[in-house]
Amino acid sequence: MHERQTNMRRRDALVNLLRGRRSLRMAALGLAIAGAVAVRFSTLHAADAPATPKAHVAQDPGPITALDIAAGSTDEATAAGGATAHHAMLRGPDARMQLVVTARYASGEARDRTADVSYSVSPAGIVRVDPSGAVVPLADGTATVNASADGGRRASTTISVESFANPPAVNFPNQIVPIFTKLGCNSGACHGKSGGQNNFRLSLLGFEPAKDYRFLVEESRGRRIFPAAPDQSLLLQKPTAMIAHGGGERMKKDSPEYRMIYRWISQGMPYGKETDPVLASVSVFPTVRRMVDDGSQQILVVAHYSDGSSEDITRSARYDVNDKDLAEVADSGHVKMTGRPGDVAVMVRYQGQVGVFRATVPVGAPVDHLPAAKNVVDEMAFAKFKDLGLPPSEACDDATFLRRVTLDVAGRLPTAAEARAFQADPTAAKRDACIDRLLASGDYADLFAGKWCSVLKNHRERETYQRGDYLFHDWVRQSLLENKPYDQFVRELVTATGDPAQTPAVSWYRQVKEPTEQVEDTAQLFLGVRIGCAKCHHHPFERWSQQDYYGMAAFFSQVGRKEGAASDEFRIYPKRGEAVARNPNGGATVKPTGLGAKAMTLTPDEDPRVALANWMTAPENPFFAKSLVNRYWKHFFGRGIVDPEDDMRETNPPTNPKLLAALAEHFAASHYDLKDLVRTICRSQLYQLSSEPNQYNEKDRQSYSHFYSRRLPAEVMLDAVDQLSDTRTPFKGMPVGGRAVQLPDMGGVDSNFLQVFGRPAGTSACECERNGETSLAQTLLLLNSGDIYDKLSGGCASKLAGVDPKRSDREKIADLYYGAFGRPPTEKEVATAIAYIDRNHEADAKAPEKLAADRKAAYEDLLWALLNTKEFLFNH
Amino acid sequence: MLTVFQRNAKKYCDGVSRRSFLRIGAMGVAGLTLADLLRLEAEAGVVSSGKALINIFLAGGPSHTDLFDLKPDAPSEFRGEFSPIKTNVSGMEICELMPRLAKMADKFSLIRSITNTYGDHSSVHTQAGYSKDELKQVGGHPSLGSVVSKFDGGRGEAPSFVSLMGEVSPGFLGPIYSPYQPDGKSRSTLSLSRISADRLKDRSKLLAQLDDLKRDIDTSGAMEAMDSFQQRAVEVVTSGRLADALDLEKERPDVRGRYAGPAGRRPDSENLLLARRLIEAGVRVVSTQWGGWDTHSDNFKTLRTQVPSLDCALSGLITDLSERGMLKDVTVVMWGEFGRTPRVNMTAGRDHWPRVMQAFVAGGGMKSGQVIGATDRYGGEAVDRPVHLREVFATLYQNLGIDPKRAQITDPAGRPQYLVDGREAIRELV
Repeated sequence: MHERQTNMRRRDALVNLLRGRRSLRMAALGLAIAGAVAVRFSTLHAADAPATPKAHVAQDPGPITALDIAAGSTDEATAAGGATAHHAMLRGPDARMQLVVTARYASGEARDRTADVSYSVSPAGIVRVDPSGAVVPLADGTATVNASADGGRRASTTISVESFANPPAVNFPNQIVPIFTKLGCNSGACHGKSGGQNNFRLSLLGFEPAKDYRFLVEESRGRRIFPAAPDQSLLLQKPTAMIAHGGGERMKKDSPEYRMIYRWISQGMPYGKETDPVLASVSVFPTVRRMVDDGSQQILVVAHYSDGSSEDITRSARYDVNDKDLAEVADSGHVKMTGRPGDVAVMVRYQGQVGVFRATVPVGAPVDHLPAAKNVVDEMAFAKFKDLGLPPSEACDDATFLRRVTLDVAGRLPTAAEARAFQADPTAAKRDACIDRLLASGDYADLFAGKWCSVLKNHRERETYQRGDYLFHDWVRQSLLENKPYDQFVRELVTATGDPAQTPAVSWYRQVKEPTEQVEDTAQLFLGVRIGCAKCHHHPFERWSQQDYYGMAAFFSQVGRKEGAASDEFRIYPKRGEAVARNPNGGATVKPTGLGAKAMTLTPDEDPRVALANWMTAPENPFFAKSLVNRYWKHFFGRGIVDPEDDMRETNPPTNPKLLAALAEHFAASHYDLKDLVRTICRSQLYQLSSEPNQYNEKDRQSYSHFYSRRLPAEVMLDAVDQLSDTRTPFKGMPVGGRAVQLPDMGGVDSNFLQVFGRPAGTSACECERNGETSLAQTLLLLNSGDIYDKLSGGCASKLAGVDPKRSDREKIADLYYGAFGRPPTEKEVATAIAYIDRNHEADAKAPEKLAADRKAAYEDLLWALLNTKEFLFNH
Repeated sequence: MLTVFQRNAKKYCDGVSRRSFLRIGAMGVAGLTLADLLRLEAEAGVVSSGKALINIFLAGGPSHTDLFDLKPDAPSEFRGEFSPIKTNVSGMEICELMPRLAKMADKFSLIRSITNTYGDHSSVHTQAGYSKDELKQVGGHPSLGSVVSKFDGGRGEAPSFVSLMGEVSPGFLGPIYSPYQPDGKSRSTLSLSRISADRLKDRSKLLAQLDDLKRDIDTSGAMEAMDSFQQRAVEVVTSGRLADALDLEKERPDVRGRYAGPAGRRPDSENLLLARRLIEAGVRVVSTQWGGWDTHSDNFKTLRTQVPSLDCALSGLITDLSERGMLKDVTVVMWGEFGRTPRVNMTAGRDHWPRVMQAFVAGGGMKSGQVIGATDRYGGEAVDRPVHLREVFATLYQNLGIDPKRAQITDPAGRPQYLVDGREAIRELV
């Protein structure tokens, strides 16, 4: 097996090295290089360097069967049909256009050849095409652009130029403002921030062109613009760095942007007529592409206006990629893959409109040994493996499974006894039974109550908060334990009314005081939408405007608050009255409106929060179920299907949309049964994959083709150390024997260990507040802190050191291994441990009083070593 | 040696002691993969590292018109009891109680016109550049030291951020970026006290034999990071390098003597020496405090004991840094919460005055020997070159090699936050 893998790795490495040199056509040279490569590889191999097999085996796609050229249109059919179907238009001297040339191969693959063909134009003098496929006009007229690939395939398209000499009046919102966005002038770092930069202000990302017009033309006594001599305007002199500009040179003199602004000024700064078309949408070509791992793709972006006209805006749009591990994108819309397999999305932004290009980089390996799918999780995940050609790892062994699932479902290590019993259990369904057992236990409720209490900000701001915090935690824990349907849980929370003794959920309103905070936390927690941006301006990556934000805020406009029974406790009640919020931008009142839904008309007697709960938990709500299953998915797999898990938006798409949709549907169909969701996830073959990668899936970080190992969370880690050393960490306000995962609130105990390992402070609705990183402080603490020394010497070491005729060292070591790792030790490990314990044996034989001390010290050292191993510190 | 960390439990005007409990924080270091770090650096526009900062917080808010901005021509109810003296920089005068600093004014600059400070007894705004209430919803703005920890990513041989003043908020970056507080339990992890070096060696060997989980499962790099931290932790513990830095008995007596004022060695002053030693050991940001400046009554009597000690310790620090050639890389900033009322009150005190505040800045490659900004004839308002609090922060970040115009951190609500909103480094200094 090993030899076969090595051979495959060797071949892959050769293929990859050779591919890097494929431009060299001469056979002799190629051979010489192949020889050199072989030598280099053998040195690598001899040194047994960590083999990093390149995942993708480049497949020859065969000959080109067709060449397509897209210009000025993102329509797939047009692009495929080429010149006959579409007539692209450049209007005015500063218009530009991007060609996208696609080669279709015998294998059925399509690949971008835009920068890899030669262009010719006839007649000459109408347009010019540069090697990257960018087109600029030269004179009015119509020309045919030909692209030819090596091998002789050709494609052509027709492009017309009009208004070259007599350009039409400039429209400020459509043509000038996008320049500020593209060049970064109106970004949050510069003039776009509130208050502007050096007294010159622009609306953030150009969302408010009318204000921009006023800032430019009317403010500062018009000194920014000098119509009599446009090139003397500050608006042109500053960004070209003709005079000192804090932001440096943003554009070249005589660039198309420069000429456009110049022309606008020389036309007398028109704003545009009321009848002028307004931007309706943007579209992208292509929208989806399968790529090779070092491939690239030019994208083409078109703006569509209210009058039905359209315009190429590829050079004016802004681009961001959602996973920089996979791809990078240039200002020109050119996307370059980095060599990692998976899915990546490029977000295209233009004046409040967004579009997405999604690329998939398959591995292309055979996927033919998939186990039988257990449920919907496997069906969708396996389909993805086949699609990507990404073979998953083997299933994990029983011991690994038990440790993993006990940590993830119950937040603790399996005990040695549990591990032994599980190992010995011959029944086929023992894994399923184990999941059910854990779900029925209070440990499950403890772990998940802690998780929810952190994002629900159950934080002890003052000591007087303790009662409310404890009641709240108890309500969350009880809800989980009795498996209250998730929709009911959220409804009880959001509509909480009364005082904490009767309705513990009202404490959420103590922590989350302001209506804005209530809106933002609700959206982030239960809808997976980060809407905070829209409080002050249009969301830069999303369709949400301030109108949407304040529509949500209206639901919380009637939350009344009275002093409660004890200090720092509140009674929450719905105030009578019409629920509205005021949009500060314009001052209009907004009725309660769910995100993307219709405005509601409520009577003054209705509690608007009930209407919100109804809207959120309705089966057709597009966010509610998806957001929860994605949040839980992250808990079990370490990465959300959408990641970050609470930032779901069109421009941050799921890596496996079908999986997310199917699991959300399953969850809704189960009447929001949380335990069923956990069961479904944990029973899947996917969750039970080994963390050990094979030669194809090592680089995968988003398709779950192997288990992604991760450090134990702070509380679980502390409990695990206690369990291994048989000690208990005392916590203030907790009964003796209480564990860290059972802590009811954040900020109530002062634990160095928990802080160093990143227990959240409970001040944010984001799961990201929990930090799973590793640090020097953590290793110092585990290696050399008084707390750990106390646990090592004060715990089970004495008992282990005692000589017990019924229990040999071998058995004791086995118990320790079962307790720490859920598995028996290997022979080698037993030998190592026994050798260590007995290393002073001979010397001690002469001094029996020293024997006991040495044995205890040896067991302390063994415990120390075990708790510092990666196998202990990580869930794998 | 623990006396070094015992701060006098100073009472503020509201009667609340701000002395922190002996809480021990996380070191501000984190395990990121090299690729993550390079990307972070590129995004942050980090141009260089190895730069450091000593942030001295004069808790209580020192009287600006009695320290560095005297008003000898103001009416007596404003003027106070002290006279200015000339410094070795022509035209720059400071309080007569600071003769040592007066002889080295060419090595520092004064900012007399900081506006936009906050009126509460909080160290947050001189640690983070924002009030403690801003962005509270997501955990607050992170302290500068926590930000440096994040960008540093734990590559250093020492924690990036050390606080000698108790807890300093990591803000929305989360507890893992809290400063390392070398007091109590946490300090004891730096040296071997419970077991011998030989036993640690034996243990480490045993660990190496047993720690054989296949590393190819470590596709995120977290285990590799843990390995590297374990090696470094063993190095820190066995070399005692950080423990030594914290042990002032290891300092040359004559150098240590420089920091001692008329009242002898005191924890406040020795913390400045400690800060220098920590930075030599690889720490990048040290926050420390010196209390006793909340002079609502007996302002002048208090300052007569406070200021000479400060003069000795601060001049000692500047001399020390200068002799060691560290002034180029190490920035020193010293300030309080706010200024104090220009008019002396009925109990010979001065009250809170957030309208204007001063800062002392030195090192970090900044232009020194300058006075930036000016207040009116009473010291009540900034009349020339008002400096925003965050301009100072932008300067500090820039001195540390972090470009405040480009570096962003996404907060837990998903909003990209600049380290300092739209403030540029003070052009007179950089």
